[in-house]
Amino acid sequence: MRNILDVVRRELQIIRKRPLYVLASVGVLTVNCIFYLTFFQDGLPHDLPIGVVDQDRSSTSRSFATQLDATQLGRVIYYDDLHRARADMQSGRITSFVVLPEGLNADIQANRQPHIGYYVNSLYFVGGALAYKDILTMVNLTNGAVQREVLRAKGMNEREIRARIQPIVLDQHQIGNPATNYGVYLNGVILPGILQMIVILITIYAVGSELKYGTSRHLMNKAGGSIEKALLGKLLPYNVIFTVLGITLELLLFHWLRYPLKGSFWAMALNILLLVSASEALGLFIIELFPVLRLAVSVGAIISVMGFSLAGFSLPVEAMPPYVQGFSVIFPLRHYYLIHAQETIFGGGFPFWWKEVVHLLLFLLLPATLIRRLEKAYILQNYERN
Amino acid sequence: MKETNYIGLWLRNWYDIFVHEIRLIFSDAGVLVIFFVGGLLYPVLYNLIYMHGTVDDMPIAVVDLSGGSYSRRYLQKVDATRECEILTYCASLEEARQLMERRTVHGIVLIPRDFDERLVRGEQATISTYADMSSFLYYKCLTMGTSLTMLDEMHTIQTERYASAGLDAQSTYQLVQPVLSDEEIPYNRPFSYTIFFLSAALMLVIQQTLFYGQSLLVGTLREQNRSFVSMPRHLQGLGVGRVLLGRGAAYFAIYMVLGTLILLLIPWIFRLPQRAFWTDILVLLVIYLVDCILFTFTWSSLIWRRETVFVLFLSVSPICMFLTGFSWPTSAIPPFWQWVSYLFPSTFGCQAFINLNTAGGTLSTIAPQIRAMTLQTVIYYFLSTVAMFIEQRMIENKDRLDALKERINERRGMDAAETRQIIAGE
Repeated sequence: MRNILDVVRRELQIIRKRPLYVLASVGVLTVNCIFYLTFFQDGLPHDLPIGVVDQDRSSTSRSFATQLDATQLGRVIYYDDLHRARADMQSGRITSFVVLPEGLNADIQANRQPHIGYYVNSLYFVGGALAYKDILTMVNLTNGAVQREVLRAKGMNEREIRARIQPIVLDQHQIGNPATNYGVYLNGVILPGILQMIVILITIYAVGSELKYGTSRHLMNKAGGSIEKALLGKLLPYNVIFTVLGITLELLLFHWLRYPLKGSFWAMALNILLLVSASEALGLFIIELFPVLRLAVSVGAIISVMGFSLAGFSLPVEAMPPYVQGFSVIFPLRHYYLIHAQETIFGGGFPFWWKEVVHLLLFLLLPATLIRRLEKAYILQNYERN
Repeated sequence: MKETNYIGLWLRNWYDIFVHEIRLIFSDAGVLVIFFVGGLLYPVLYNLIYMHGTVDDMPIAVVDLSGGSYSRRYLQKVDATRECEILTYCASLEEARQLMERRTVHGIVLIPRDFDERLVRGEQATISTYADMSSFLYYKCLTMGTSLTMLDEMHTIQTERYASAGLDAQSTYQLVQPVLSDEEIPYNRPFSYTIFFLSAALMLVIQQTLFYGQSLLVGTLREQNRSFVSMPRHLQGLGVGRVLLGRGAAYFAIYMVLGTLILLLIPWIFRLPQRAFWTDILVLLVIYLVDCILFTFTWSSLIWRRETVFVLFLSVSPICMFLTGFSWPTSAIPPFWQWVSYLFPSTFGCQAFINLNTAGGTLSTIAPQIRAMTLQTVIYYFLSTVAMFIEQRMIENKDRLDALKERINERRGMDAAETRQIIAGE
């Protein structure tokens, strides 16, 4: 016990002496929180630039453009010719544009069914998809408006007209994120992902530095020659930092910012604790496997970046090729995300995510498998340092 | 005569520095791993992960309380869409909800009891949909699948109604769709995640691997007290430009090869759209690389130890990605972050590559981005010389700085000898 305390004291000294550790944990997470929370503060983009090429210049075309401009999603930019609009769409300045052809108004009045053309640049994903939806709605509303005029002239009452124009109405519910808020959706997983990245990298760096700077024997002496005590004492301070960061993050999201949470906060607290511990274990495993700091750091970097993709919150894992799907289980963030989705959206509780808890706990066994390898490296210092 | 001598000397120095830097890079396994393995592995991995970029036939549950011919026809059409596949028919919403909770289905379509009745009576009927919001692609699938079917079904029902009211086929058609629309979604018709994501990721990988690798190298040199800034001293303090350009040329040479592989070969292997002239892409690559190298030179001045660059700056990669505006629209980015995005070459580089390669533009399409990158290049050239100058002064006054540090430590009550022992193993 005294040995462990000695190691802890030694580690605290290192943390005090090298600002890197606090900077890379508290600093990096703070910067990322500020970035993502302010970046997505609107929740859903509005006033997307949509081009309108009005070749008709009639009351109908003008009202189409004004109404498109009045939608929450769209903001109309007028173009005189098609080529300019196309060039601007190609360069991403507008995500889409509508062409209102010459004779639009006259053709509608004469039942000649004019064509409205619209072009969408889906390379700018969210903007493109939303603009597409907005234009589609506008075109259908135009159709409805024309029908309404005709039916009114035939003497139908408004209720009948509504049923004629739109016989079926969709009543859409977004379970777990009623406002379709991108911030809620992305931040809930990206920020814990950043924490995972921080934990993996700092664990590797802290344990690996002893090898690189040849201080591992000094550490082993302090720990009374026991690698278990050395690692326990060494990682304890970081564990406290990471845990505090994790709980603060969850409090920030679900308590202060009131992100939708159907289940209990305690489940989320447990979730982040498991994520932090599993990531720490994964980091430790990596440095045990490659007891060369720079190699381990590179591997840790690749794994933590890949974790974002393979968590499956952007493109779902089942849409990936089968041989990639299997790999998703080696990323702690994947399991965090599954518990997170279940708990925030349905609040089903433990029976629905106990398997993920087991998965995350399995990570804790990883370091035990190679601990002798690290012990040897610590004592013999027989790996190249740079 | 003196003039030519100067130029000759300049070129000789430049060449020596260039060769020296190339040697440094190729004798450092860590840097090589990041440049060659990282630079090529990431694009390949991302291509494998996002091989099939769309969610097709997403399983949904259906609660059909009406059970008439209208609801059946609607559901059959939903089932036939690319987006949705009806996995089960449930007896109640509760049953469907449980399936969704167990993540067997990602959407629910509820058709109320009076659906068919209302339609037969010529009234307005409602369908309720419930989307699993754990991924926005689920939501998108359900919305697209049910909405497009709804529009189609709407036209069918309207046609039936007008026909029964005694209108002939032609006037019904004209009345139901007084305005026809032509949809044109070039570049990425199915809204594929692969095409959208990789176009930007490829460019970002160039900037980020260059930054991490280069920082690793200078971090090492500084750790060993042989920073590159000491070079100009041998040249009587006149060689800042030579050192910068010589070192830059080394990275440029390596990354011209890597960049060509990343931007031309990888898209070809994985059959991503390649709609630009390859010469245009090379022009873009040259401009982007020069910008990235000077960007790297400037910011890597902050790196004083070998591995710290990852620990401190790895999370910058996803931030850069969002700042390019290819997923979250630029018009929705808060002004402050738009300004921040101008710091990174990737903001303009990714946009330029998307517009050029994937949207099939020409160099005139990406002229604004090229202008921005040129401006960045000039500014970063200036800043990296300033950074070199400052570092040089710091090294010259190293003793005084060390003494200062010692004094601070003493005041904080730390034993300098012991800390050196646990930190640097001295």
